[in-house]
Amino acid sequence: MVKKKCVAMLLAGGQGSRLHSLTTKIAKPAVPFGGKYRIIDFTLSNCTNSGINTVGVLTQYQPLVLNSYIGIGSAWDLDRRNGGVTVLPPYTEASGVKWYSGTANAIYQNLNYIEQYDPEYVLVLSGDHIYKMDYSEMLDYHIQNEAEATISVIEVPWDEASRFGIMNTNEDLEILEFDEKPAEPKNNLASMGIYIFNWKSLQKYLDQDNLNEESSHDFGKDIIPLFLNEGKRLMAYPFEGYWKDVGTVKSLWEANMDLLEENPGLNLFEHSWRIYSRNPNQPPQYLAASSEVTDSLINEGCVIEGKVSRSVIFQGVSIGAGASVHESVVMPDAVIGKNVTITKAIVPGDITVPDGVTITPEDGNEEIILVTKELVEKLRKDVTA
Amino acid sequence: MSRLLGVIDAATVMGGLQDLTLNRSVASIPFAGRYRFIDFVLSNMVNSGVDSVAIFPKHQYRSLMDHIGSGKNWDLDRKRDGLFFFPPNFEPNETTSIGSFSRLEQHIEFFKRSHQDYVVIASSYVIANIDFEEALAEHLIHDYDITEVQHNGKSLEIYVISKALLIELIEGRRSSQFISVSDVVKQPLHNFKIGAYDHKDYTAIIDSIPAYLNHSMDLLRHDVWSRLFTQDRPIYTKVKDEPPTKYSSTAQVSNSMIANGADIRGSVENSIVSRAAKIGKGSKVKNCVVMQKSHIGNDCSLEYVILDKDVRVLDGTSLKGTAEQPLVLRKGSVREAAMVKS
Repeated sequence: MVKKKCVAMLLAGGQGSRLHSLTTKIAKPAVPFGGKYRIIDFTLSNCTNSGINTVGVLTQYQPLVLNSYIGIGSAWDLDRRNGGVTVLPPYTEASGVKWYSGTANAIYQNLNYIEQYDPEYVLVLSGDHIYKMDYSEMLDYHIQNEAEATISVIEVPWDEASRFGIMNTNEDLEILEFDEKPAEPKNNLASMGIYIFNWKSLQKYLDQDNLNEESSHDFGKDIIPLFLNEGKRLMAYPFEGYWKDVGTVKSLWEANMDLLEENPGLNLFEHSWRIYSRNPNQPPQYLAASSEVTDSLINEGCVIEGKVSRSVIFQGVSIGAGASVHESVVMPDAVIGKNVTITKAIVPGDITVPDGVTITPEDGNEEIILVTKELVEKLRKDVTA
Repeated sequence: MSRLLGVIDAATVMGGLQDLTLNRSVASIPFAGRYRFIDFVLSNMVNSGVDSVAIFPKHQYRSLMDHIGSGKNWDLDRKRDGLFFFPPNFEPNETTSIGSFSRLEQHIEFFKRSHQDYVVIASSYVIANIDFEEALAEHLIHDYDITEVQHNGKSLEIYVISKALLIELIEGRRSSQFISVSDVVKQPLHNFKIGAYDHKDYTAIIDSIPAYLNHSMDLLRHDVWSRLFTQDRPIYTKVKDEPPTKYSSTAQVSNSMIANGADIRGSVENSIVSRAAKIGKGSKVKNCVVMQKSHIGNDCSLEYVILDKDVRVLDGTSLKGTAEQPLVLRKGSVREAAMVKS
């Protein structure tokens, strides 16, 4: 194998249980986002756009869709003769099956994958976030600062800091302490779950952590403290820009709505930093004479006969005449019948909402409705009753 | 494995489409928001199970090669069979008649080496969804020598022929005086058994600018697009990584087909808008075709206009053609509002 300067390890095995029915059959990184994409597209595109072309994707929970979606990586230009994308599921050894028991353990079990490329640096990523970031700039920062590890951080509002893993740093952004969800935060720099390690040190501490039976084998909780205890130089890399964890139905909905701003924090139309994905190859969208579409993103293959406002509509969706879809996200191939009213909801793919049904939150309820087959069935009976 | 070998004759020159073919061949004229003419016949071949397709271009084929690439988007990047691109040798007075024997002769080895026994030879500009397996079945049942694919009695310049007869015609062209497959079919005096296969579904032959606009408008009819773009026989094209289309608060769209990556802030009626096109606030676009990456500024008014790729229409410009004589804005051109002297 040809030596690589930096190998990326992308953690994509998370369940995302707070996304409920959206993740019963697929892992969180495979959840559709932004009218065309899946969450993992953002991290994979960042890799390609940053010139990092060796990416191991660690899968575990419900990997079928994710595995076939990634394929040989051609959608992200990651089908390379040397390197490229490699899906790394848990595997069996003579001693038995070894499930990934934590983020650090997942990497530990694939040390031999990294070894093949004998890299100087390892970039650890998570496939759960929506953002654009040039990892090559972070790597330059890591090298310039002669750090053993660099963690990307973002400023969060002080009153929310206790929900995050907080990095306590000195004025030069050298990390002194890692506080996981502190009750009384001393800082407001939250870890984005993006790490760059010097390969040799990472290898050493992963070996050490593996022998510790008390460890939860987590990067934030277990590996970073090992570096800190030995006085290694850890740097925080300050990131400015749009970054969102879409771990809940509400935050997934919000991140979709963010795209509809006049000047969105995350611009999908930027040519120099394209977000790549598998292209569905469907005909252009058709907007009928009866349609009324404003403030929305609509993908190919859709047939729109009703009213759509402040919504994100994925490929292959049809919206019937007299229907009104407002502040909602409609995922691939869903069918919205005639005279349906939908407000503040996420409609997962392949759901058919029958004619005349109304799905809208009760007054004062801030929750976003996640439409399910059960809900649709109940509403259908109400309409016909 | 299919018994059919595909040949696309992309040498056609059409005077009536000159404004759209200054920098490209007829085969690569953009159509339906995200396709090129050739996508239809090429996808038809792939959907008919053809695994080996040879494209014979002649003029201005850079854009065609760029579009087709390795054939990956049509699943034709194969180790065995797949896509073949046969640029012509220099022959100044050669015919552009479909299935030109002298053009095919330059690559006769391709026919001799291929294992398929039948050949479908097609023009590159027919917009339809045709099953060539059915045409071959008709050809075999009636034991025709050459079967011409027609629509309502009109030739689509698509022919099914056995490979053995094709090679015989190519090699005997100097003594027979036949210049092309199309020529054989049109000549009254010969002993070949010529048959017809009628393709009944929607078919458009685009040979002029008014026909281009007219057939673009056909796409807005449900009975047309639903039969041209089906789930089980999709039309493939070179995919681009465009985001979904964005509609602003001032967008007003009615009876239009809009491709991905467009940015719509004005009013669009009875029109086709291609990938990454922009339509500014306060602008009215009616009965138009806007090709990819063309930008219409604010407060413009356009009716019966075809905007080729990369056209810029600056703020406040009004342009009007008619259904019989649509106005064509050539690729890369810039239009601005007429200066009014004060």
